[in-house]
Amino acid sequence: MDTFLAEIEQTIARWHGIEAPNDPARRMAADLVATIRAFEAQRGTLAFEDEPASFEAALLETREA
Amino acid sequence: MPELADLTLVEAADAVRLGQASSMELLDAVWANLEAVNPHLNATIWLDREGAEQAARQADQAVREKAWLGPLHGVPLAHKDMYYQAGKLSTCGSVIRQDYRPTITATVIDKLTEAGAYTFGGLNMAEFAQNPTGHNKTFGDCHNPWNPPYITGGSSSGSGASVAARFNYAALGSDTGGSIRLPAAACGVTGIKPTQTRVSRYGVMPLSFSCDNVGPLCRTARDCARIMTLIAGRDPRDPTSAHLPVPDYEAALDGDIRGLRVGVPTNYFLDDADAPVVQAMEQALEVLAARGAVIQRIALPLLDAVAACVSIISRVEGATIHAQWMRTRAADYGVHISSRMYPGYAIPATYYVEALSRRGPILKAFARDVFARVDVLVTPTIRTCLPTLAETDIDHGPPGIEHKFLAVSANTRPFNYLGLPAVSAPCGFDPNGCPIGLQIAGRPFAEARVLQAADAYQRDTAWHNRRPPVLDAVGAMGVTVA
Repeated sequence: MDTFLAEIEQTIARWHGIEAPNDPARRMAADLVATIRAFEAQRGTLAFEDEPASFEAALLETREA
Repeated sequence: MPELADLTLVEAADAVRLGQASSMELLDAVWANLEAVNPHLNATIWLDREGAEQAARQADQAVREKAWLGPLHGVPLAHKDMYYQAGKLSTCGSVIRQDYRPTITATVIDKLTEAGAYTFGGLNMAEFAQNPTGHNKTFGDCHNPWNPPYITGGSSSGSGASVAARFNYAALGSDTGGSIRLPAAACGVTGIKPTQTRVSRYGVMPLSFSCDNVGPLCRTARDCARIMTLIAGRDPRDPTSAHLPVPDYEAALDGDIRGLRVGVPTNYFLDDADAPVVQAMEQALEVLAARGAVIQRIALPLLDAVAACVSIISRVEGATIHAQWMRTRAADYGVHISSRMYPGYAIPATYYVEALSRRGPILKAFARDVFARVDVLVTPTIRTCLPTLAETDIDHGPPGIEHKFLAVSANTRPFNYLGLPAVSAPCGFDPNGCPIGLQIAGRPFAEARVLQAADAYQRDTAWHNRRPPVLDAVGAMGVTVA
């Protein structure tokens, strides 16, 4: 078994008590590699002051007049 | 005169108010189509003919007594089976909730009831609103009214199919990654995902509380405008709902789009798009241009960041609220549901918080750049010709089929992360006879503008008036307006 996938399965089992329900679940878990790559490309773009609550404010700030 | 079931929502409501048709006649008309066509489509989960007849009789009595009549007086509707009505079944499309009867009623249902509408059933949907195709393990797959082996789009599959097949004047859907716009596009009807926070979600099954939206699927943009005027607005029972006044969206539909700046993205949205889809979009742009819109090709910023963040939020939130059932009842989910939720448990909290934290700054930067140049964005709703149910069947298909399954929602997901309003309107047909959808998105709270653009387009086109061939193939009978 792929080491990355094995680690993912162990992590999910340890932290959540959930086992892989089927093979497609394992394939999609293995695809988390793509998620990591996408976030790698974004490193450094999160500002220190950014916070989730800014989204509702942004909706209002950028709304149609 | 048109058959009653062929009327749009607005026409049907007007017919009752003007005494041209009774509510019971509307109900009979849609029921005739339902009985004739639905066995081929599987668009419903439960029906309540007796309750609907009672409501129709009361509506007709109110007309005779010249009582105040709401904007949807006497119109029978059915909604995606995740809108809670106290004491009534709400399966959420899953065996896990096959007997669930909530004790509360969704605010949007209350608002439609206050407007005079009544419900006659619960519509098929993706299990827990979690697929873009219309597959359903428990209640059976929903089939496309234009070509039944093909997907209806999801997750509001029955909403799209029932409106297209003329046994429902309008249906509420929900949209977390495209679940209103995808079935609207695939079934040849019109649907709108409102701005995040525009419509109350109280009493609606949650999937991802940061990205869930409530909105209608109807025959026309005008129908959508009428529903939106009724359901939008602040709801004290949903503290996330916006404190902004609600305009009369229907009154804003004047057909005048002269000078409207229409942006057509040159990046992402047409990647690997099928030629018939691109051709239909280009022809739609010509229609808009002929009405005075100004078409501009523009490169959109930040789409890599949106792509990185877009699936993180809904996957983590969906996985979190389903965690206990994933521990104890995983086999009760369809394979395509449990397999997609599973990786959500391994996404680090820091990624999730980053995706949420960057949402506001990304929206501001996106809006500052894009909406300085254009008023709306136009893309295909689905960038490929529709796949079949078999081609996207993760539960029974070969390894790798999940990529085709997930590709269906590639063009809708970005607008969920950005929180922008987006409408899908029919704009043609692919070589398999399946509809093609045109997506029109705008800046936050620009529902009036995107509906105005869609309505202007529908004034000069007739795609939204086409009837699925299944109606004639099975000899669905109609009742004409008096």
